[in-house]
Amino acid sequence: MIQVKVKCFSQVKYVLGKDEMSLSLEPGTTSAELEELVRNQAQGKLDKVTLRIAVNQKYIPAEIELKNGDEVAFIPPVQGG
Amino acid sequence: MIKIEIVKGPITPFPSDDSRTQDGAELIFNGRVRATEHGENITVLEYEQYEGMAETELRNLAENIVKRFPVHDLFCKHRVGKVKVGETSLHVVIWSKHRQEGIDAMSWFIVELKNRIPIWKWAILEDGSRIPSECAH
Repeated sequence: MIQVKVKCFSQVKYVLGKDEMSLSLEPGTTSAELEELVRNQAQGKLDKVTLRIAVNQKYIPAEIELKNGDEVAFIPPVQGG
Repeated sequence: MIKIEIVKGPITPFPSDDSRTQDGAELIFNGRVRATEHGENITVLEYEQYEGMAETELRNLAENIVKRFPVHDLFCKHRVGKVKVGETSLHVVIWSKHRQEGIDAMSWFIVELKNRIPIWKWAILEDGSRIPSECAH
């Protein structure tokens, strides 16, 4: 198993009720598979929310395989300024 | 040169600079908290950041702007935490040789900031309840 830290912000944090999760995943789990897992945890409340994914604090342009110790954030639409 | 700061208290503006004899334009933008959100009176906007990534992305964006537009320097402060109505949440100063490139760079910088930087905000109403703030203007 691999361990990843999931950071939650804004709507994701509000829906899941937590700002961080530590998850054990099967080796070979991808970013898209983790997104599906997080969306399932949200029980449909994130279905209309577009999420960008950052791994280790960088946006990823495409699906990647996660590694042990990765920090993954599902970034809802940003609102700075 | 680029200066990027994410601050947790009131923003102290960058000082105007009379020594810049090669810059014909000094553009200053202050984004302030409006008193209404979706037609409702608010007291505060509460900003949340992805600590670390927000500052890094803001710095990357500023570096990109300075490469893309003929501007000399870009300084930016973005506030996080609770910001009261009327206070500044975003302060940007750009120096350029001529005004138009500075104006274009400022516009592009703010558009991209609102599209990319992992910062979010909630509006707190007069009764204490919170609503998402989704203004992209």
